[in-house]
Amino acid sequence: MTATDFSNIETSSHTTSSILSVKNATRRFGGLIAVNEVSFEVTPGEIFGLIGPNGAGKTTMFNLLSGLTPPSSGAISFEGRCLIGLPPYKIAELGVARTFQNIRLFGNLSALENVKIAQHTHTKAGVLSGVFGAGRAREEEPRVLAKATELLKLVGLDDLAGEQAKNFSYGDQRRLEIARALALEPKLLLLDEPAAGMNPTEKQGLSDFIRMVRDKFSLTIVLIEHHVPLVMGLCDRIAVLNFGQLIALGNPAVVAGDPAVIEAYLGGD
Amino acid sequence: MFESFFNQYGFLMVYMVLQATLALSLYLPLTAGQLSLASPGFFALGGYIAAVMSTTVWATNGMFPIPYLLLEMLLGGLASGLLAVVVGVPALRLRGIYLALATIAFVEILRVVSLNLTITGGAVGIFGIPQPFNSSLEYMWVALPLLIACVIFTARLEKSRIGRAFVAIREDELAADAMGVNPTYHKVLAFVIGAMIAGMVGAITAHFLNTWNARQGTFDASINILAFVLIGGSRMTLGPVVGGMLLTALPEILRPVGDVRLIVNGFLLTLGAVLLPQGLISPRVFKRKKVDV
Repeated sequence: MTATDFSNIETSSHTTSSILSVKNATRRFGGLIAVNEVSFEVTPGEIFGLIGPNGAGKTTMFNLLSGLTPPSSGAISFEGRCLIGLPPYKIAELGVARTFQNIRLFGNLSALENVKIAQHTHTKAGVLSGVFGAGRAREEEPRVLAKATELLKLVGLDDLAGEQAKNFSYGDQRRLEIARALALEPKLLLLDEPAAGMNPTEKQGLSDFIRMVRDKFSLTIVLIEHHVPLVMGLCDRIAVLNFGQLIALGNPAVVAGDPAVIEAYLGGD
Repeated sequence: MFESFFNQYGFLMVYMVLQATLALSLYLPLTAGQLSLASPGFFALGGYIAAVMSTTVWATNGMFPIPYLLLEMLLGGLASGLLAVVVGVPALRLRGIYLALATIAFVEILRVVSLNLTITGGAVGIFGIPQPFNSSLEYMWVALPLLIACVIFTARLEKSRIGRAFVAIREDELAADAMGVNPTYHKVLAFVIGAMIAGMVGAITAHFLNTWNARQGTFDASINILAFVLIGGSRMTLGPVVGGMLLTALPEILRPVGDVRLIVNGFLLTLGAVLLPQGLISPRVFKRKKVDV
């Protein structure tokens, strides 16, 4: 288990061109170390997979990246800007959007409203402008509606635009969360288990969809996923976490053959 | 015959309109998911500003000029808004029931302060507040436009960018935060707008009641206003308005019942809460109607 050595080798080769850089990020919850001295870099345009057994610290890692949980120590920077200490909404403003493992849509609101809300940082209308429908709001509202409609169409939910999000099927809710995240017009998209709850056909389509989204919006994508074939076929590089530590990092073929990864997934003797 | 009806019920009708507007002041923070019971505090503040100004600075012998009343409403609204920023920034760090408790404490502090200051007339309060109108019913000329303005304002706000941010916070504060909505800013904003409405209503009510004292801003009033919103419906602007009017009128409607009317009143409230947990006016009611047609 020489996790730290491994990560150090990798980080040194990616320092110049990275969009996201994580250095020795650690998060403790009382006595539990959920994320332990994890370092990696993500290059622009990459689809970067974060995998690991249950409880490995993947979602905690996402919470550190999106500011929902502050790291106990370590550094995280996005496009060269330090994210430590920034509240989530500021990180979202910088261009980091995410979805949630345990879907967190605005359940009582329509699909359209869910997506509209995420345009918040790209609009500026204040109270009076909004109430009187004048000034900024006059220009922004049609734009917000057009953008939200376009994104719903992209994920194939435009027919259900007026339906309450809580009435959606699980797969549709995941799609709606992606549309909502895209409405932030992010540069970095964090997808937390996008395939969970999808049937095999949907999973097949998801790979193509994620690639298409990456190309269309020139995104960098970091995704957490349990479905191994999906990760192997989709990701340019993969980081493997186990008990909060980074145990492998590299392209899918290398990671799949790594003895530490096999041991983490299948158990050693 | 109409004349006698208006003479008898003019006071009640204006009071219904004023209370309905006050209900909106509690409804607004609630759209952002914040259960604040601070409205009576700002209501009392607005009332004291109007009472003090009209009995000292602008004291007149004859009819009190209406522009001065409007100016008092403006002052009451602004002062309440300012106080709401000061109170809201620390208080809105609290959630749910803890925020409710803190705002009850705020109302109590204001009440005790007003009981002990000389400018507010101590326990006696301020009386003989000059009248801008000849009869109670004529107060409708300011009360009704204020209600209509507040309803339109609130309903339009809900459809706007800021209103969407409020509702996003109510639905899931964490997700709203991750989607770029600053929760603290919008919670304080909703609280401040609500406070300004309460301050303006207070300014009118002080003249309307002719007297103003520490009994105006109490815990009881907090609970009454909360009942307006919960019984009327907390998901649509119309809900608190209907709730405010209905619950203000209910004790009067029940007057023929006699001494047990307060018991009946309480029973009806409980029944309403049990049978219509979403309130009388909810988006669901409107949807169902559409389906029928």
